[in-house]
Amino acid sequence: MFNFTQIIMEKLKPMTEQESLQLISSMIQKAKASYHDKGISTLLWGTVVTIASVTSFLERQYNFDIGFDIWLLVLFAIVPQIIISIKEKKSTKVKKFEDEVIDIVWMVYGISIFCLVFYQNVIPQATQNLLKQDGWELSKHFINNTQPNQVIKPFIPSVFSLFLVLYALPTLVTGIVKKFKPMIIGAIICYLAFIVSCFTASKYDMICGAIAAISCWLIPGIILRKRYLKSKLLNV
Amino acid sequence: MFNDLDPILHSQLRLAIMSLLIGVKEADFTFIKEKTNATAGNLSVQVNKLKDAGYIDVQKKFKDNYPLTTCKITKQGIDAFELYVKNLQVYLQAKQ
Repeated sequence: MFNFTQIIMEKLKPMTEQESLQLISSMIQKAKASYHDKGISTLLWGTVVTIASVTSFLERQYNFDIGFDIWLLVLFAIVPQIIISIKEKKSTKVKKFEDEVIDIVWMVYGISIFCLVFYQNVIPQATQNLLKQDGWELSKHFINNTQPNQVIKPFIPSVFSLFLVLYALPTLVTGIVKKFKPMIIGAIICYLAFIVSCFTASKYDMICGAIAAISCWLIPGIILRKRYLKSKLLNV
Repeated sequence: MFNDLDPILHSQLRLAIMSLLIGVKEADFTFIKEKTNATAGNLSVQVNKLKDAGYIDVQKKFKDNYPLTTCKITKQGIDAFELYVKNLQVYLQAKQ
């Protein structure tokens, strides 16, 4: 193993070409190994999305209402996220090229999620209005004619599946760029949850969402946090 | 023996600084000090030499009332580093 301290001590001695190469590779490795994600953001989003998904499922499964939309939690989680991001930016001693790209990917992901929420809320009414303009309305026809036709409001079938595809995207990018296997595995599980959600009733899509949030963020977040605390202990 | 090698880079501490900076966007002085185990005084001298050669860009700011020095490799620095590594490789190949 290359001993840099020793070399510094002997700096009057000229470097051999081997020592130069060893020094270069040792320093590049040191710079590479310097990144320690604190895991707080990953833990935050893993927890929030898991709680929201499980609560949504329970509300539908057992027909009760907690009195407010649990997904507002996700909206409120943006405030601590901003504080965490500012604090982390202040304490960072080194900026890597890939960090900037990953930050942009997560920012674009955030914008896309809000676009999808907007789409989910606007499309049914907008579709109804467009159909009305053409003199149409959607109705439910009972195949065996036991009940009369019923007018239905347009809806987006299995919209939560689309959220699962989005969850996987930044997670997989981060996992591959950072060579962080738990996130790669998490993203693969998320894609599997997406496939399952295409065939299940929408309340079970929430369970798929919880599985995705746990595998994409909660578990990787716990691993990152443990790694960070361990590295902090070693550096003290 | 090392006539072709850039004398600015062919010094342990300066080469260590450049090797650290080549893989990152920018790094604080404290980060470089931590990774190289150099003293603040010695590091400061070598950082200034690299800056004077145009190999790194040094920015001095204040963060929470404390001075903060940030170093970033320049295009000229990247070219010089790549040439240095290339020359080393040529030398090693010739030796084999």
